Amino acid sequence: MKWRVGESKRLRIFIAALIVYGVIVVVRLMYIQLWQHEELTKLAKENWDREIPFQEQRGDIADRHGEVIVTNELAPTLYFMRSQNKDVASVARQLAPILKVDEAKLLEKLQRPAYLTKLAPEAKNLSVEQITQIQQLQIDGLYSGVDYVRTYPYGTLLSRLIGFTGSDTQGLAGIEYAYDDVLTGNASAIRLFTDAQGKKMEQTEDEWRQGEAGATVELTVDLALQQIIENELEQAMVMYDADQALALAMNPKTGEILGIASHPTYDPAQYASVDSSIYNRNLPVFMTYEPGSTFKIITLSAAIEEKVVDLKDEFYDKGYTMVEDARLRCWKREGHGHQNFLEVVENSCNPGFVELGRRLGPEKLLAYIHDFGFGEKTGSTIAGEASGILFKPEAFGPVESATTAFGQGVSVTPIQQVQAVAAVINGGTLYEPYIVSRIVGSNGKVLKENKPRAKKRVVSEETSKIVREALESVVANGSGRQAYRDGLRVGGKTGTAQKVENGRYKDGDYIVSFIGFAPANDPEILIYVAVDSPKSHLQFGSVIAAPIVGHILEEAAPILKLPYATDQLEKKFVWGDEETERMPNFVNMTVEEVTKQFYNYHIHWYGDGDRIESQLPAPGQLIKQDDAIHLYLTN
Amino acid sequence: MSLARRLFVGSAFVLSLIGIVFIYSASSYWGEVRYADQTPFYVKQSLYFVAALIVFRVVSRMETLQHKKWWTLLYIVSIILLIGVLIPGIGVWRNGSRSWIGLGPLTFQPAELAKVATLIYLSSLLANRKRGEAVIQLKHFIVLLIPICCLMLQPDFGSAFILIMGAFALFFIAEYPFKFYLLCMLGGAGALAALIISAPYRLARIKAFLDPWQDPLGSGFQAVQSLMAIGPAGLFGHGFLKSRQKYLYLPEPQNDFIFSILLEETGLIGGVIVICIFACFLASGYHLARKVVYMRAYYVIVALLSMIALQAALNIGVVIGLLPVTGVTLPFISYGGTSLMLLWFVVGVIYLFSKMTMRKEEH
Repeated sequence: MKWRVGESKRLRIFIAALIVYGVIVVVRLMYIQLWQHEELTKLAKENWDREIPFQEQRGDIADRHGEVIVTNELAPTLYFMRSQNKDVASVARQLAPILKVDEAKLLEKLQRPAYLTKLAPEAKNLSVEQITQIQQLQIDGLYSGVDYVRTYPYGTLLSRLIGFTGSDTQGLAGIEYAYDDVLTGNASAIRLFTDAQGKKMEQTEDEWRQGEAGATVELTVDLALQQIIENELEQAMVMYDADQALALAMNPKTGEILGIASHPTYDPAQYASVDSSIYNRNLPVFMTYEPGSTFKIITLSAAIEEKVVDLKDEFYDKGYTMVEDARLRCWKREGHGHQNFLEVVENSCNPGFVELGRRLGPEKLLAYIHDFGFGEKTGSTIAGEASGILFKPEAFGPVESATTAFGQGVSVTPIQQVQAVAAVINGGTLYEPYIVSRIVGSNGKVLKENKPRAKKRVVSEETSKIVREALESVVANGSGRQAYRDGLRVGGKTGTAQKVENGRYKDGDYIVSFIGFAPANDPEILIYVAVDSPKSHLQFGSVIAAPIVGHILEEAAPILKLPYATDQLEKKFVWGDEETERMPNFVNMTVEEVTKQFYNYHIHWYGDGDRIESQLPAPGQLIKQDDAIHLYLTN
Repeated sequence: MSLARRLFVGSAFVLSLIGIVFIYSASSYWGEVRYADQTPFYVKQSLYFVAALIVFRVVSRMETLQHKKWWTLLYIVSIILLIGVLIPGIGVWRNGSRSWIGLGPLTFQPAELAKVATLIYLSSLLANRKRGEAVIQLKHFIVLLIPICCLMLQPDFGSAFILIMGAFALFFIAEYPFKFYLLCMLGGAGALAALIISAPYRLARIKAFLDPWQDPLGSGFQAVQSLMAIGPAGLFGHGFLKSRQKYLYLPEPQNDFIFSILLEETGLIGGVIVICIFACFLASGYHLARKVVYMRAYYVIVALLSMIALQAALNIGVVIGLLPVTGVTLPFISYGGTSLMLLWFVVGVIYLFSKMTMRKEEH
């Protein structure tokens, strides 16, 4: 007899195991298809997609009026899909001469086992002629991706601020580097549907994925003013055979940087052939040195704010002053003799400022220096800004205090000086300098707008007014005379500092500077110019830097619409100056009256009649004796 | 036909049709690219299906096949064929193993027949045990080991594995003691440990199974590609013919990974439906087994069903990443002529043996 069937306990266990397994399978399926759905979809898309990127344009860099300084130029790059072309060797043979590369190397690249090969650097950023030639060849599997290179309509202008981009248009220096995130766009792409080997699937449509162009960075710089500044610096570089030169112009009421220049310049399109010390150093923020006499403005402002001096107070300069055992000389060996403190400022007399420093005391002087923003970065967002070096409070004794009072023994950046002097002359508020006014998205939407940022009040309105007048007097009567421009009410201060090398003063090697502003009653622009190591017999700021600032202000006046001031300080006549006088008002005078009274002028007559209808120059303008005068007649 | 028989044969029929439909979808691109000059897979599968139905029709009525002498004979024939396959000139070398016997355009895998014949012969032996006789007998293992050794030599580890699994399921149902299975598991774990220690690369294989994403282009490739087919499909799938992974991402998509493509196109819903049809097939099959009165018939039905169940479980487990990649097809659905015909042969045999109840009742 066989065993009885129906004892199926074992079968039940087996079936139960199968059911449990079935449940596990369904749960696992739910986990994969519902829970992991998103994650796996993303991975699968990466697996399927073959994207040919189309570089979206990098954002422009423009000036405050939207004038484009840096933009892009079309320069395509080639991509190759190996699976779509069987005859790779002939592709290499056809392309090599156009790309001017080695055929064997190109072939090796084309044969790489990749779905999509970017032919870079061999076929990156092709010229229009190259790409037309290649397109005519109609090579299967070869795609040209849209790509751009930077182009600079103004050449070297502003190059040391702007910086440049690398081969993948990534910002490497300057604004291009600091604002790389906003300038860089999101690439568009053609998405191809292919099988696992990259072969294009016939029945599918290519998909276009729209990217976004980078945002435009609008600078606070005024391009017209910038051109004037750079021309002046270029001339000074040639005239004085200087090592380098820098200029920084700012709106003292807001902190907007209107112009910023470093010379020598370079062509950002050719950055690879330039020394990195040129393109990495934006001198007005990078360079630190002893400021020299321009720093006296700080001492003066502090002293007036603390009411330790009245400009009418008397002071006697014997050519030096003793602080403890140190003999501190005036730049004028024989001394300035008897002066009031306004004249001390006009003459930039060192012992006079030592006296001001002594009256303030080291603590207060150092506190003001810190308040004016020295010793720390200004926050300009310009790449490569330095902090400068100040004395530590415990090392700041009477001698250090005395030298600092006339601008020696501290190390500061030009932008710190401009920031501080702006506060002195704008009514006493320290503003943060800034270089980017707006960031505008490719859709025209303003992404960011910088507003003036007041850091703190440093001196009172009254102190500011007194110092402005004193500095106007420096230009009208003192060491800044060469910056004087009629009707502009220029104020300013010269500076001459010996360069320090290895902790010792370098003989005969100076940085000469001038910081000037206009108009003195209500300053609209503040300019600092420094020339490093001019080869001139007179290495003084008054001789070299002041005239540059004068020229810049003169040319900038119409751009900034500075008013013609009548209540100005007249320039003091010094022997050697040309004699000047003010143009009389000829209008409505008769010809007879004019010829009788003004026989010594060079008059050009225009038109017929016996009465003067109009004149050139206008009444009140400064004219030299041999200047021509144009009079227009009427009946 | 009783309801159980109708459900049994009907679900096998539906599964075969689903198979042809998804072979059509899954192989459309692969076939075009790799076998451009051949008859399309779905056409061949359809023809095999017709042949398979004829086999079923004939077998299910050949009541003489219920006699055990035929199965002893078939076992011996299949062993001879398995040995013959190893002889060059008779055996055909394909895909790295000598598994086929060729007669002109007709080729045939003796392994499929050997699995069935061995299990049925074993069923006879198990049913023949007398009361008081040992439950575990050496001859069971000898009968099992001869075809296993031949399969290993081809090599065809997939078939060998399925045969061992089927036989062990049969032994289990035939009251082999639990202790035997405990020892087998311990022995298996020990052997696995020894294998890993002797060749550390095997550890990497296991790691690749546990986390295929570690090497998605190498050892984890198929597992990862399968997951990338299934996951994005979601609840309803991309729709019929809309698979992406069949574009050469999953190799031979009409074969081992056809269930991936099915899941990709029909989603979780489609997958669960197919699993339910399998469940229906097995449930009605086991129901038939419990109705028979002869021990031998009972063992035959249970062994053959369990073999199909384990093969399906193994294939689905691989596709959804539960089990390491083994190279086992999904019964009825994966492409394969011999396999389909043999499955329907099995369906016929089960049908035939299930009739052994009624005859008893008639007597």
